[in-house]
Amino acid sequence: MSQTAIEKIRGDVEEVLKDSAQLLAPLKGEKILITGGTGFVGTWLVETLAALNDQLGYGVKIQLLAKHASQLKARAPHLAGRKDVSLVDKDVKDIIEIDGDITYVIHAAANPDNRLHASDPLRVMGVVSKGTESALAAASRLSGLKKFMNISSGLIYGPQPLALEALPETYSGGPDCASIMSVYAESKRFAETLCAVHRNQYKMPVVTARPFAFIGPYQLLDKPWAVNNFINDALRGGPINILGDEKTVRSYMYPSDMAFWLLRILAAGESGRAYNVGSPCGVTLKELADKIASNFTPQPEVTLASKSFKPQHRSRFVPDVKEAETALGLKIKVGIDEAVKKTLLWHKAADKV
Amino acid sequence: MHKLLIHDVTLRDGSHAIGHQLSAAQVAAYAAAADKAGVPIIEVGHGNGLGASSLQVGESLLPDMEMITVARKNISRSKLGIFIIPGFATINKDLKPAVEAGADVVRVASHCTEADITERHISYAREKGKDVYGVLMMSHMAPKETLAEEALKMESYGAQGVILMDSAGAYLQNDVSEKVSALVRALTIPVGFHAHNNLGLAVANSVAAAEAGATIIDGSARGFGAGAGNTPIELLIGVFEKMGFATGVELYKILDASDIAEKELMKVLPFPKPTSIVSGLAGVFSGFSKHVERVALEYKVDPRDIFFELGRRRVVGGQEDLIVEVAIELSRKKELK
Amino acid sequence: MSKKLKTAILGSGLIGTDLMIKIMRSPYLECTLFVGRNLQSKGMAKALSLGVKISDQSIDAIVKDPSCCDLVFDATSAKGHAVHAPILEKLGKLAIDLTPAQVGAMCVPGVNLKDCRGLKNVNMVTCGGQASIPLAYVVGQVHKDVEYIEVVSTISSRSAGPATRANLDEYIETTENGLKHFSGAARTKAILVLNPAQPCINMQTTVRATVAKPDMEALIPRVKEMVGIIQKYVPGYNLVVAPTLENNRIIMMVRVQGLGDYLPSYAGNLDIINCAAIAMAEEYAKNA
Repeated sequence: MSQTAIEKIRGDVEEVLKDSAQLLAPLKGEKILITGGTGFVGTWLVETLAALNDQLGYGVKIQLLAKHASQLKARAPHLAGRKDVSLVDKDVKDIIEIDGDITYVIHAAANPDNRLHASDPLRVMGVVSKGTESALAAASRLSGLKKFMNISSGLIYGPQPLALEALPETYSGGPDCASIMSVYAESKRFAETLCAVHRNQYKMPVVTARPFAFIGPYQLLDKPWAVNNFINDALRGGPINILGDEKTVRSYMYPSDMAFWLLRILAAGESGRAYNVGSPCGVTLKELADKIASNFTPQPEVTLASKSFKPQHRSRFVPDVKEAETALGLKIKVGIDEAVKKTLLWHKAADKV
Repeated sequence: MHKLLIHDVTLRDGSHAIGHQLSAAQVAAYAAAADKAGVPIIEVGHGNGLGASSLQVGESLLPDMEMITVARKNISRSKLGIFIIPGFATINKDLKPAVEAGADVVRVASHCTEADITERHISYAREKGKDVYGVLMMSHMAPKETLAEEALKMESYGAQGVILMDSAGAYLQNDVSEKVSALVRALTIPVGFHAHNNLGLAVANSVAAAEAGATIIDGSARGFGAGAGNTPIELLIGVFEKMGFATGVELYKILDASDIAEKELMKVLPFPKPTSIVSGLAGVFSGFSKHVERVALEYKVDPRDIFFELGRRRVVGGQEDLIVEVAIELSRKKELK
Repeated sequence: MSKKLKTAILGSGLIGTDLMIKIMRSPYLECTLFVGRNLQSKGMAKALSLGVKISDQSIDAIVKDPSCCDLVFDATSAKGHAVHAPILEKLGKLAIDLTPAQVGAMCVPGVNLKDCRGLKNVNMVTCGGQASIPLAYVVGQVHKDVEYIEVVSTISSRSAGPATRANLDEYIETTENGLKHFSGAARTKAILVLNPAQPCINMQTTVRATVAKPDMEALIPRVKEMVGIIQKYVPGYNLVVAPTLENNRIIMMVRVQGLGDYLPSYAGNLDIINCAAIAMAEEYAKNA
């Protein structure tokens, strides 16, 4: 990754921390374990914690646990080489013990890539269920544990009714448990129940974050998600091709906001609560494609792969984030237009190694 | 307006107020009077329940079984209730003989986050065909979501109702409404409320509970109970009658019963003394107050300081031994100054 | 030094795994077999990582290879030990029972370590018993007529698993029996309190006694001496309130912090039983 790309990310993080860093003050001097710590979410968490340590002397120690954590040395040496970051190569399912001085655990290990959900479902279910169980069991033996944050998923709500503008944390729908397409969502539901049991039975302070959709640096463009496809199409010079219904509604949060929200939930979220993490501003796929296109000259064309789609397939996936806003004082600092722009600039910078 | 089940704890919680020194004659006198008034359930026993007579929380004058036997003889209409806390009482030593001696209603209590310890005792009472209720004590210490979870466990064990106890007298009316309605929403069985008067809110809180959907309300004659006392049962009957809640208890006769209680049972009428107010503010179990007063005197420290320190340590019912440790610590600090 | 005593552990849960780590630190003991039912369990993985031989054959592992060990720690369950005890007896194995099965004689190292040497099966009473019985014993040694001994233990909620919670009655009965046996008191009472406070509290045990004529001058040094003896095998055992008269009754208080080997340090209640079991096993080893 180029130095410019690294600096851009640090700039993004500092922008989000500006005037708000004090919301993360409880994390000062703590030692945080992040399972799945080298993935998209984990990397952004480290970027943010690193900025807190460098700029504000937070003195947070960070341990990243992942099956191939050491690979971060090649991918992001600016993080892997830091003194305040340590790497543990271990599959989350195989955790037996964790360092006794860890005070916060962020359980972020999971693979949200829906191609894997389809092709290796048992592996996905094992990582989420056994991985969460292992992480909880090990954390339950920490004398100084202050919080365990389970990173769940907005997908646990199942399909969002079109009439419902946004999904609140209290929405009690769910995916079809007998469908092979529910592998990830159902596993995540099971993991949330595991967390509830540990919180209740072992009085562990456990909080849950339910992330929705994101757009930004460190997202690999090969993932078959609309936003990644659009960016990929646009960077290749277009046209931007919309598969499916252009009126499908999604919302996208920029990852510097995401990391800040997650750390705030870790620091101040109430045990037993779940908080949606995402942008409350829905956009249609058409609007998103147009926004991406408008960042290029000449503008790439936006095309529809098919004009015939069934109205029952129209979908919407937008979180209600009032709980995070009111209870934790969180807000979106990077709007969708800026998020798109930043993302494109970063990809251009990152490619120029 | 729904019908309320009034649960009389005079001969159990009141025991705290006089160091668990209720005599057989006192039990007989009040049980007969309350029975005459049509009080549905009369609970007897050591203040911390059967089997709790101990140096830790105070030794009873009258053994639990004698109290049950005496009460049984003096009750014809009312049901006879007992109270047990697993960890103090066991099935073999306490619950079994009490059931055999004629207890009709069994309340099984735990600290508000520890409902799992009540499973076996609730099951036992249910298998014996008794009315059985779960009790969550010190319920100000847990959020409403946790209380609902613990109450649901009790429901799953077969409890036919769950009572929230404000054991420290720490609730304000909003807390009552919020927590009671959360339980009413979560449970299919009735919800009850048991107040203490540390902040002078026992009646108001009991009313708030009934309005939030609680159908079991605890009271005791003249508020005879731990610390600042409970909700005066005679006041409850009067207020509920005025509000239109049916209780089935006869007003004149419960007023008479409360007079008898004052005359026969009490050395002083319960009221929120300064130490009780502090205990309510600190969120410390009301049953601690007599011990704190005694220990404070013995170690020459301010009882209010003891209460606030106990509150800071988040002690639960049954941790009376910490009073001595805290007093010793405070007196050492005083000497250093 | 002579050869180490070969020991096997039945039960691959938290208690068994913690015992294994303590055995590996002991100059007198070695762990030759770690036995459970499930090769996938975390305890098994831990044993493998430490190079300890494992088996998922339960008691059969010892039946099939009796020469594997001289002593067996049973950290399964009361029902489990009821089955294991006669088998181990037939095989001539020493058994240290950490379950509430109450098959063998009660062993409290601070009090009767030497008396237990000749026994084939000993049980470790309860956590509250290990913390309080030595103190109750001293009260009984100093005073002739101990009328009453009462023990209150408060433990952190998190350290009380489902089995502990379901067996509070058995805990109380066993602890009361132990207190009576070792102190000679006419009456005894045990109370257990769970506290959910965060961060987790350490185990705290208060011993109260009613005696005709309290002799504090004689009692205090004897209690301190006993605490010193216990600290040799339970390093986290501390006297927080030395014997004192309160309301004319003797009261003293100890707090137990765990070693944090595999069990967490807040679980002093579980650690103390393991420490006591190791002390007994080492006594066997020294006299083998």
